[in-house]
Amino acid sequence: MGVCITGIGVVSAIGMSVEENLSALREGKSGIGPLQYLQGTKASLAGEVKASNEDLRKSLNVGTEYVSRTSLLGLQAAREAWGDNKRSGVIRTGIISATSVGGMDRSEVFYKDYLSQNSPDYQVLTTHDSGSTTERIAAELGISGYINTLSTACSSGANAIMLGARLILQGTLDRVLVGGSDALSRFTIDGFRSLMIYDEQWCRPFDESRAGLNLGEGAGFLLLEGEKSLQLTGNRPICNVSGWANAADAYHQTASSPDGKGATLAIENAIRRAGIGLNEVSYVNAHGTGTKNNDHSESVALRNVFGDHIPPFSSTKAFTGHTLAAAGAIEAVFSVLAIQHHLIYPNLNYQDSIAETGLVPATLLETGAEVNAVLSNSFGFGGNNSSLVFTRYE
Amino acid sequence: MNKAALYITAASTVSHQPTFGNPGFSSTLGPIVADNALISPDYKAYIDPGLLRRMSKILRMAVACSKDCIAQAEIEQPDAIVVGTGLGCLHDTEKFLNTSLTVDGLLPPTSFIQSTHNTMAGQISLSIGNHGYNMTHTQNTLSFEHALLDASMLLREGDRHVLVGAADEHIDILEDIAAQLSFEAPARLTSGASFFVLSKENRGNAAAILTDVHTTGGIENAEAEIDAFLIRNGLNASDVDLVFHAGEPVQGVKGNVPYLPLSGVYATASAFALHYAVDSLQTNASLKNVLICNALRKSNLGLILLQSVEA
Repeated sequence: MGVCITGIGVVSAIGMSVEENLSALREGKSGIGPLQYLQGTKASLAGEVKASNEDLRKSLNVGTEYVSRTSLLGLQAAREAWGDNKRSGVIRTGIISATSVGGMDRSEVFYKDYLSQNSPDYQVLTTHDSGSTTERIAAELGISGYINTLSTACSSGANAIMLGARLILQGTLDRVLVGGSDALSRFTIDGFRSLMIYDEQWCRPFDESRAGLNLGEGAGFLLLEGEKSLQLTGNRPICNVSGWANAADAYHQTASSPDGKGATLAIENAIRRAGIGLNEVSYVNAHGTGTKNNDHSESVALRNVFGDHIPPFSSTKAFTGHTLAAAGAIEAVFSVLAIQHHLIYPNLNYQDSIAETGLVPATLLETGAEVNAVLSNSFGFGGNNSSLVFTRYE
Repeated sequence: MNKAALYITAASTVSHQPTFGNPGFSSTLGPIVADNALISPDYKAYIDPGLLRRMSKILRMAVACSKDCIAQAEIEQPDAIVVGTGLGCLHDTEKFLNTSLTVDGLLPPTSFIQSTHNTMAGQISLSIGNHGYNMTHTQNTLSFEHALLDASMLLREGDRHVLVGAADEHIDILEDIAAQLSFEAPARLTSGASFFVLSKENRGNAAAILTDVHTTGGIENAEAEIDAFLIRNGLNASDVDLVFHAGEPVQGVKGNVPYLPLSGVYATASAFALHYAVDSLQTNASLKNVLICNALRKSNLGLILLQSVEA
């Protein structure tokens, strides 16, 4: 039976729900464009969620103004994944979220006022720390007990899913809501610009001419249940999370190794954990940020693992932008949808293969594909590499 | 729950007290006072000078403690590195925030790179060339307990040695924020880092047994939670020789010691308490069961149960 996924929720630049995201993916419709809501940044393009904080607060029925956009986006996706499930005194339930910047979207506004002595609102800082973003979501959903937050930069969301699966298998929890959330902020946009990997054009993952990433924002959540929980809830599994691994690249603080060491280890170990053969992987949802470094290193890792038989692969970041800690969770939801609806998503903006590796991603939407196992990669700063394997529920 | 014993085979702390490289420190510490500054070891003995120059306080503390632990445990590599931090790399976060708001044009990226919460775990893996599981937990005052729970799970999944620790750093603006938010700290705000090697076997070098670790967020009844925790470990309150606590003392046990006056206040001060407890178990043979009860933030409860190796 393993660890089952029984609920999914997502919010991103391409939609406020699973249904909206799915139809945008089917239609090849990207959410990347000029910023409408976040003020004062130098980014020409980003994957912004098409709702103001006020819209989100209103639709989520959150009274207080002291709530970060990261919490609001997280709550939006977490509520959808949680669905009509009830609290239970018998089912040990937990929540694990992931975020890279927590409430930075509000803290940076505070800090600007603080620097100019323009009556800064210190109360805003109670929403700053990453843990508080998860505590907020937990409180809104009525979940208490195991409440945790992971922060490993761009692999955080995948790591939350991995930790949740392990907690169920070890019998610490019966069911756990896992995911990740990050809001766009001036801090991260300036950060990636300072690294000179923010593309002012629309990002082009796995293309020879790729010149960097576009940041995005959003959240993804999945409800994981073990056998005991399923018996009590009667929920129908959508699919399984069967494989997971995290490995350190230990090469450089931000750059990935040219030999793809950490990524190779993560992919190999996740597939081994899933107990499936390499030829059984139907589709790879790649990390594929569009930076020179990542896409090269990831291509090398795919070659290391699969040799000449690399499964169809694509990056969906040209749809959503790179949503940092949310990416692994959003793409996990996309992976589940790929299995559920027999889809392979197109890698937008691809023209020419990377000269050194020659890998060609899937560029057209494939419907009716036999998708039984999906590998999803998430690689982050600090050489933090994570891979997950989702399989059809039998 | 019947679980195999796990062993603490190394411990290292940088704090405002003489804790680093000083076994037996627990019998000599008094409460920290205003002029107790952070006591830094000779970082050059642990960190490459080129890297050291760019490292903030929290990174230096974390990497030095980690290397000290690996040397103490006499292992080549841990199988995994797990770190907890409440507020992360504050110095670099504030620095980049400041730069991004005040500087036009090209920004230097170093402080952005070093602002992410997992910079510590990443730097540790880099500095020792470790390719294992690498994780960072950041759950407010329970960040360390969550890291310790993760490390325990890894050992039950087959790992032999896990490097696990926590760190938080003080920056000046925290004083202003604490005052403005009327945060009544039970002691002064400080910095600290404590790291440990948690091992599956005792190769004759175990300092303590980690019996159990538990976290609860959004807690309603702490007393009931503590009772249930002790019961699942086959203990009554009267079996507990000493409790190191932040928040209320625990009723019915043989002794209570508040640890925040010793460590100062930071989100992961319970890691300091763990080292303090491990050191106490080694220096005081009359101690058998020791509990660390962390309610630094009232809605969150962290429990760590230790046993002496000879018990």
